[in-house]
Amino acid sequence: MSRRILVLMLLFSATLIVSFTATIILNPATPSELKELAKYYVLNTINETASPEAVTAIVWDYRGLDTIYETLVLYLAIVGGLAIFKMSEEALLKTRIGLTLLTKTSTKIIALLITSIAAAIAFHGHLSPGGGFPGGSAVAVASMIIIPVFAAGTLIEKGISSTKLVAIRGAALTALGLVALLPVVRGLEIVTNQKFYPASILGLPISGSLSLYNLLESLAVASGFTAVALYLSIPEEAYKGGSSA
Amino acid sequence: MIASILLLIIASLLSLFFVYMAVTEKDLLKAVAYSAGQSITYSILLQAMSTPDIVMTYVAVSVGLYSALLVFVISKTERFER
Repeated sequence: MSRRILVLMLLFSATLIVSFTATIILNPATPSELKELAKYYVLNTINETASPEAVTAIVWDYRGLDTIYETLVLYLAIVGGLAIFKMSEEALLKTRIGLTLLTKTSTKIIALLITSIAAAIAFHGHLSPGGGFPGGSAVAVASMIIIPVFAAGTLIEKGISSTKLVAIRGAALTALGLVALLPVVRGLEIVTNQKFYPASILGLPISGSLSLYNLLESLAVASGFTAVALYLSIPEEAYKGGSSA
Repeated sequence: MIASILLLIIASLLSLFFVYMAVTEKDLLKAVAYSAGQSITYSILLQAMSTPDIVMTYVAVSVGLYSALLVFVISKTERFER
């Protein structure tokens, strides 16, 4: 074991020295100016989409239809995953004992911190790096540490069932589809942004439909992953009794 | 310039180390931890190449969700590989 690590360390330091000296001697030239495509996005994004964040603008505006299909693919994947698990909330109610008080308190603090950072990522997605998917998956991380610590049964007792979560996901995705489809009513293209939606409301920059998409996508992703985690936390013993039904 | 090159080389070598440890480890929980370490080095690499949008998604999915999912799955099977 220790000899293996020693050999690895030797190999790594040799690679480090060789690659570092090679980079210094060969000195690869960094490109001094942007390509034409990059120039287009840097110069026109703020005027065409009212968003200073080029990545979000490309994801939800220039290539908006691609992202909506991607969201649909993830939706189908989660629906397929949920279809495999047997729905029985009585089995989950048996697992009501969580971890110790110390763990529960620290988890509450950490989950609050993660959720507030996730909200910042999701709701600032049209102004700074981030967006709906990273924000939603950060919320899902918070719920994934909450579920084992507080036990799934406690959550279901409090009214957070996976049926409700899937319903939230469906509602968020329907709203997302409506945001994409609404411009068609006025004869515009599907997923039109600036010709239909306002750039700011009451002086608050919302970049048209970009912030709406980010908000709804984060809701959908967070509730979908939380529902999957709830089902995964069903213990094996819960399946054994109810196979005859 | 030199500092960023050093950071890139060290992070990529560390990721290789974590991948090796994850593949050869018999304790599956430890292997998940090594895999999370590999993801952290990858996110350092992505940040060094100035792609903050990808870093946010990558950290949340590969360090958080993926590891948590694997721990859930391991809890349904055996912890040690035979």
